[in-house]
Amino acid sequence: MTTRSRPHDVVPFPAPRVTLVDAASAPLLTRPYFAAGDPGPIVASLAQVPELVGPMLPFLGAVLGASWIPLREKEIVILRTSAVMGCRYCTETHSVVALDSGLGAQEVRALRGELPVADAFPDAGERALIAWCEAVAHGAESDLRQARQALLDDDARVVELTLLVATTVLLNRYATALALPTSPDVRDRLIREDM
Amino acid sequence: MTALADAWADGSLGSRLWLYSNYHCNLACTYCLTESGPKVSRRELSPATMLGLAHEARDLGFTGLGITGGEPFLVPDMPELLGELSAVLPVLALTNGTLFQRGLLDRVAPLGDAEVTLQISLDHPDPQANDVMRGPQNFSRVVAAVPALLQRGIGVRIATTLEEEDADDLARLCTLHRELGVSDDDHVVRPIIRRGRAETGDLGVVARYLDLPPELTVTADGAFWSPFAPTVTQGVLDTDLLLSRTVQPLQRPVEAMLTVLGARPEGADSTLNIR
Repeated sequence: MTTRSRPHDVVPFPAPRVTLVDAASAPLLTRPYFAAGDPGPIVASLAQVPELVGPMLPFLGAVLGASWIPLREKEIVILRTSAVMGCRYCTETHSVVALDSGLGAQEVRALRGELPVADAFPDAGERALIAWCEAVAHGAESDLRQARQALLDDDARVVELTLLVATTVLLNRYATALALPTSPDVRDRLIREDM
Repeated sequence: MTALADAWADGSLGSRLWLYSNYHCNLACTYCLTESGPKVSRRELSPATMLGLAHEARDLGFTGLGITGGEPFLVPDMPELLGELSAVLPVLALTNGTLFQRGLLDRVAPLGDAEVTLQISLDHPDPQANDVMRGPQNFSRVVAAVPALLQRGIGVRIATTLEEEDADDLARLCTLHRELGVSDDDHVVRPIIRRGRAETGDLGVVARYLDLPPELTVTADGAFWSPFAPTVTQGVLDTDLLLSRTVQPLQRPVEAMLTVLGARPEGADSTLNIR
C-alpha cells in the first residue's frame, strides 16, 4: 500500500534559531507585552534585546496596522511581498489575516503564488499595486520604473505602500533567518481553508 | 534635578554602579547565583570597558562602584585595576577572600591608600559548616586574609549569606568578625536568593524584582536591575531582570532602569532584607 502525501500534511518546522523568551524569562521592560499571554514569536525573539522592543513595536504597528490606506490593500501588499520573498512564517500568518480582512480564498491563493494574479484580481489598480510590491521586493531599477508608471497613486500613497513593502521585507528576512514558528492556530486554519 | 538624581534622593535607587568583572571562580558555592566555578564561561568585562563605565558613572552622578563576579581577583590585573577605578569613584569589591597569599597581598597593599573596600564572604562560625557551603579550606583562608588585609590598611566588610538564621550561630559569627577586626557596621547578613545554583539546589527565598535592591548592574551580557539579577541557571543566563543589552553609553541602561522604576506598582516594597 502506498500513502499519498496530502499538500497540507503538517510539515515540521525547523527549530527557531534563537530562544523565544517566555513570560517567566521576559526582561522587565518587555513584561507588559507578555501580560495578556503569548505575544507571538516576533516579540518573543525581540525580547532578547529589550531596548529594541520599545521602539520597534510602535513602528511596526504604525506601518502594518490600521491607517488611512484600506486594510484590504495593506494585506495585499504584505501577503504578496511575503510570498515573493519566500517567507513561510509571514505568508502563512498573513494568509489568515488577509482572509479575516475580507480577501477571498482565490485572491489569497493568487497572492501566495498558487494562481495567476490576473485571474483573481480583475481590477487594474490592484494588479498595479501587486506589481509594485514585486518590483520593490526585488529592487531592480527597470522593474521599479515600469511598475511606478502603472501605479497611478499619488505620492503619499506610494510612500506609505512602499514603506509597507520595505518593512514587510524586513520582517520576512527576520522571520526566515530566525526560523520563527507559525502558530498552531494559523496552521489549523490554513488546513481548514485547504491552503 | 534629573530623574536619576530624584531617584537617588528619594532612596528608590542605589547610587552605586555594579560591574561584573567576570563569572569564573575558584570556588563553586552551593548557593551561587551565577553558577560560578572554575570551568564556567568567563563573561569578562574588559578593564578598558570598566574604566570607561566608571568615568561615565561619575559624570552621571553615581557615588560609588561595586565590583563583583565570579571571583574578581582571578582577573589578572585586578589589584591595579581597582586602584585605577578608585581614582574615579570609591570602590567596593566582593571577593571570596581565598586568594590572598603573599604575592597577591603584596599587590593589593597599595590599595590601603585608595578608596577601596573588600567585602569577603563568611557564612558560619564553624569551619566545617562554613566549608560545606563554600568549599574546602574556605574558612581558614578567610580568617587568615581578613587581618592581613586590615594590617595593610585595606577596608574589609564581611558578608554572611544564610539559608536559615540561627541566633546562636550568628552571635558566634559576630564575635569572630569582631575578633578579626571587622566592626558590626561592616557586617552584612542576607538570605540566600533562590536563583542560579541555589534554585537548582532547592535553596533560598524566592525574590521578586521588587525584593531586590535596585542598583544598576553591568555585565558582559548587558545591564540588569540589581547585582542579584544577572544570574545563570543550568548554564543559561537568566533574562528576567535584564534591562538592556546596550551598556554604553551608560545613559541607555540608566534610562531603562528609570523606566522600570517609574512603572513599579505602589506599595510593592520589599519585606526581605536583601543587601
